[in-house]
Amino acid sequence: MELQAVLMAAGGGSRMMDLTYNTPKPLLPVGNRPLIWYPLNLLERVGFEEVIVITTKEVQKALSTDQRLKTDVKMRLDVVCIQEEADMGTADALRHIQQKIKTDILVVSCDLITDVALHEVVDLFRAHNATLSMLMSKVHEFTETVPGQKGKKKAGEQRDFVGVDVTGKRLLFMANEADLEEGLVLRKSIMRKHPRMLIKTGLLDAHLYCLKRSVVDFLVHNKSVTSIRGELVPFLVRKQFSKSLNSQNATEDTEKNQKQQDAHHNFELLSTSKDEALLQLARERSCWNDHRGDMSEAYHGGKLRCYVHIMEEGMCYRVNTLAAYIEANRVVPKLFEDPPIHPSAVVSERSLVGSDSIIGPSCQISDKTSIKRSNVGTSSIIKEKVKITNSIIMNGVTIEEGCNIQGSVICNNAMIGRGADMKYCLVGSGQRIEPEGENGVAASTDPLSPPPPHPFNFSTSPPPTFLSSLSSWTRLFGHNL
Amino acid sequence: MTAPKAEKDEEEQPLQAVLVADSFNRRFFPISKDQPRALLPLANVSMIDYTLEFLTSTGVQETFVFCCWMSSKIKEHLQKSKWCRPTSPNVVHVITSDLYRSLGDVLRDVDAKALVRSDFLLVYGDVVSNIDVSQALQEHKQRRKMEKNVSVMTMIFKESPPGHKTRCEDDDIIVAMDGKSKRILHYQRAQALKKLHFPMNIFHSGSDEFEIRFDLLDCHISICSPQVAELFTDNFDYQTKNDFVRGLLVNEEILGNQIHMHVTKDGYGARVSNLLMYDTVSSDTIRRWIYPITPEANFADQEGQSCTHSRHNVYREPGVSLGHGSQMEENVLIGRNTVIGANCTISNTVIGANCVIGDNVTLDRAYIWNRVHIANDVKVKQSVICDNVEVKHGVVLNEQCVLAYNVVVGPDITLQEGTVLSMHHPDEEDDEDEDEFLSDDDVGYSKDKTKQKVFNPAEVGSEGKGYRWKSSSLDDTEEDELAECIWGLALNPDPESDSESEVSEGSHDLGSHPASPELDDVKVFQNEVHGTLQRGLDENISCDNLVLEINSLKYAYNISLKEVMQILIRVVLEFPFQQQGAQISTAQYSSHLLPLLKKWAPVFKNYVKRPQDQMDCLASMEEVFLERETHWAALVKVLMSVYQLEILEEEGIMRWFKQSSTTGKSQQLRRNQGLLKFIQWLEEAEESSEGDE
Repeated sequence: MELQAVLMAAGGGSRMMDLTYNTPKPLLPVGNRPLIWYPLNLLERVGFEEVIVITTKEVQKALSTDQRLKTDVKMRLDVVCIQEEADMGTADALRHIQQKIKTDILVVSCDLITDVALHEVVDLFRAHNATLSMLMSKVHEFTETVPGQKGKKKAGEQRDFVGVDVTGKRLLFMANEADLEEGLVLRKSIMRKHPRMLIKTGLLDAHLYCLKRSVVDFLVHNKSVTSIRGELVPFLVRKQFSKSLNSQNATEDTEKNQKQQDAHHNFELLSTSKDEALLQLARERSCWNDHRGDMSEAYHGGKLRCYVHIMEEGMCYRVNTLAAYIEANRVVPKLFEDPPIHPSAVVSERSLVGSDSIIGPSCQISDKTSIKRSNVGTSSIIKEKVKITNSIIMNGVTIEEGCNIQGSVICNNAMIGRGADMKYCLVGSGQRIEPEGENGVAASTDPLSPPPPHPFNFSTSPPPTFLSSLSSWTRLFGHNL
Repeated sequence: MTAPKAEKDEEEQPLQAVLVADSFNRRFFPISKDQPRALLPLANVSMIDYTLEFLTSTGVQETFVFCCWMSSKIKEHLQKSKWCRPTSPNVVHVITSDLYRSLGDVLRDVDAKALVRSDFLLVYGDVVSNIDVSQALQEHKQRRKMEKNVSVMTMIFKESPPGHKTRCEDDDIIVAMDGKSKRILHYQRAQALKKLHFPMNIFHSGSDEFEIRFDLLDCHISICSPQVAELFTDNFDYQTKNDFVRGLLVNEEILGNQIHMHVTKDGYGARVSNLLMYDTVSSDTIRRWIYPITPEANFADQEGQSCTHSRHNVYREPGVSLGHGSQMEENVLIGRNTVIGANCTISNTVIGANCVIGDNVTLDRAYIWNRVHIANDVKVKQSVICDNVEVKHGVVLNEQCVLAYNVVVGPDITLQEGTVLSMHHPDEEDDEDEDEFLSDDDVGYSKDKTKQKVFNPAEVGSEGKGYRWKSSSLDDTEEDELAECIWGLALNPDPESDSESEVSEGSHDLGSHPASPELDDVKVFQNEVHGTLQRGLDENISCDNLVLEINSLKYAYNISLKEVMQILIRVVLEFPFQQQGAQISTAQYSSHLLPLLKKWAPVFKNYVKRPQDQMDCLASMEEVFLERETHWAALVKVLMSVYQLEILEEEGIMRWFKQSSTTGKSQQLRRNQGLLKFIQWLEEAEESSEGDE
């Protein structure tokens, strides 16, 4: 076994609380499948037979009960639960499962939806005997209007600066704009080794990492590192150019080795160092070099190397914001050859379901209803004369007759009253939108939901508007817009 | 100021060029004292001919040559050259003025005279290149058309990563550019920097791809719009191109002007800005990197220069004779009518015309100009030998030697690495410092003068003629050039120096700082006093102020007056050891110490007032000398000096001498011959003065 796959599925989805309040992020439906299915499928496609899933109790339960997931995923899932309250970072999670890790690892986040050829990342890892290789992609511009958010994304978002060498593979520099207030500072020695550096902004880190086994050991002994993306990766990128790694005992790498010894990992150490010696010999004997322009040895003698595969085309989404969630829902159905309408769904012949929409199992869609560019989840009931465009209807939603829903997200088990007219709204799980004319305010089941903003302010309020107890709104839309 | 912009027929405008045939620095002194840099031979052809050939072949039809230093020579050279023949496709105008002090002056003059009508090329007279700029020119024009007059200049670069031979250490530039538009965002010389700093505002240009390049060599060829000349006029503080580029980049938001770049992949372009570059460009020429500009091409079309090219890049002009057993290994160019003796080994070398080279001579990376005589058994490594030099037998020139015009060296002398010999005495510099750019007629004058000075046989050999040239410490900072050395900067900047900083950084990560050993107050005070005196010496601080400083130190460290005096004595007596090392002889010691005592006498007088002070003072002197047995002979000189300076009085000294000494060693000290004599002399003086009474 060359690589062990680790799936990080314990994240709370803090950047899309509106959606994840009731449904854990890994279980959010995307194209009528739970989000976690996509990374699992990615791994399965390339031939992994086993994956360690780090997640919460709630998700574990869902995983074990979800029949569809069971039939779809043939890999053996080794589910490790961590406590939600413990507030563990991704690096903490790796530390948590270090006993299970025997080889180099491939860490994937549960919110990754991509059609990347995964071997590209792994090949970099293999070919260069890298310590870290990761996946990035061009950031997608989200074209769709996001509920509760007007126009494009706010400007002034902090960009990530990623520096790669001329081949675009070697990762040389990584920093967030927020940390670069005093300007971008590079050591001249790095520039001397890699005289041509491309600095790219506008890249999306897919949170997919190949890591050496020794990095896990390093994590075990450096408990202060809590997050892979936040701390470990920048650290490794920086450390590539510390000459002292090999000379000074006090620095991290040898410390790593020493501590490995301390921790009675002698066996692994010996076996890897044997490999190392062979590799070293191979490199000395061959005329291969990773760079040109000067006469120094391959990699300039550096032992620690980080690589990145940047996807130029293809799809890569991280479903961690509402905008990304909506976009993913739109794009994903095109990738899989599932029939757009599940066989178990009951669709009236006198309704209109566009070929760009998907209808989940056990749905009921009544007469004179039109559904365009939308996803309708499992067991949802859509009554007569409903018009749904550009929307995401999750599972178990009931939409009464005469509704007009556009560009909205309706979460699980919501109930939309008769005649509602919604544009770019977000309806939380289990919410009831009262029928037109009936002025009852539905009791919010969500104590966290923000107070309804002033109706006329609706479009300018920056966070996604949570349309939970807002029947008055619905009416407002119905009449005024 | 520029000619009225006739945009419509801009396409038909002939391409113009401004050639600056002056470097405005003294980098090539002493060579360029006799010959302007643009006329120095590179592979037996004057450098300006390479530049003109480049301009002509790239399609320039009108060139303005601006000269200042030795302009008459350049003018004369050009008038004789093919460029001034009526058939020349490139019309050359020579513009001379003694008032040009910088590139800025030249371009301001271009603007004032309205010489350029359209985009023009700006080059120096020492650029060697075969780049075809037409593509860059087209891109430049395209940019100018797209966004009217925003991009004012396109700089041409050649790829030359760190470690590459043509990477000129003076021009160790780092460029940040926009990945797509090729706009220069940041341009910096990086030779003294360990960390490269890029301000954030350069990344706000809306692009998402930037490139930071450390692998570029500025070819010193730029495509400029007429606006460049105007901008130089508007900003009279711009002196160099560097000023201009930086000024434009910094003020981009205000002026709205942009600079773009063009990187040539396979062209060659380099400026001979120091002798190291001279070495590199010469060897590249011979190795045919600048094809089609090769030695045998005789592009300058000079008679008798046509040479043959045989394998291993050996070029011979007509009339070369090679003695028996001599070998031209590789990359050799030999000028016409040069005679080479037997059993010579010649590699990577250029020899000019009419030279005579003796037997058993080894030449490697030697650049020998015309009419040079080299006797037998000479070895030359990586050196430049100018016209009419005579090297007598048995001379060895180590790396980076320069023999300027008419020097005679030898016989049997080895010149150290980096020796520069010239017929110009380095001191004459001072006389003509004022008007050194003026003209060449003061050279003859200085020659007369040098004859009066004596040649040092240790420098040039017993029959030698010439002076060792010291690169005078010119504070010629107006050019913000580096401390100028003819060979350029250190050859191999030690890459380890970086790793050192990394090591320190690494340890910094862990926060382990070795604590410096604690010093007690007295020790610290002593160090401080030493520092104060040192500074006093360096900065010539008056004794009053030194006293003030020492007094304030006294309070800072809570030292008693007696201790202050003891420490002061100790510091002063040990001062020569600190400065010259502990190994100095007694004579050196006292010769160093006595002026110091004299200088600081007022300080001592401030602390040595009462008879008891004198005793303390003497006691601490004794203490110091007891520690340094070998320097006892100096004690008497010290005592003599302090006596004469009236710091100590004879009574005190006598009392100290007669003091019942406690240790055997101090008794030994008192039995010192010199001291006894001194005491005797003191006694006599006392008696005589008593007798007088």
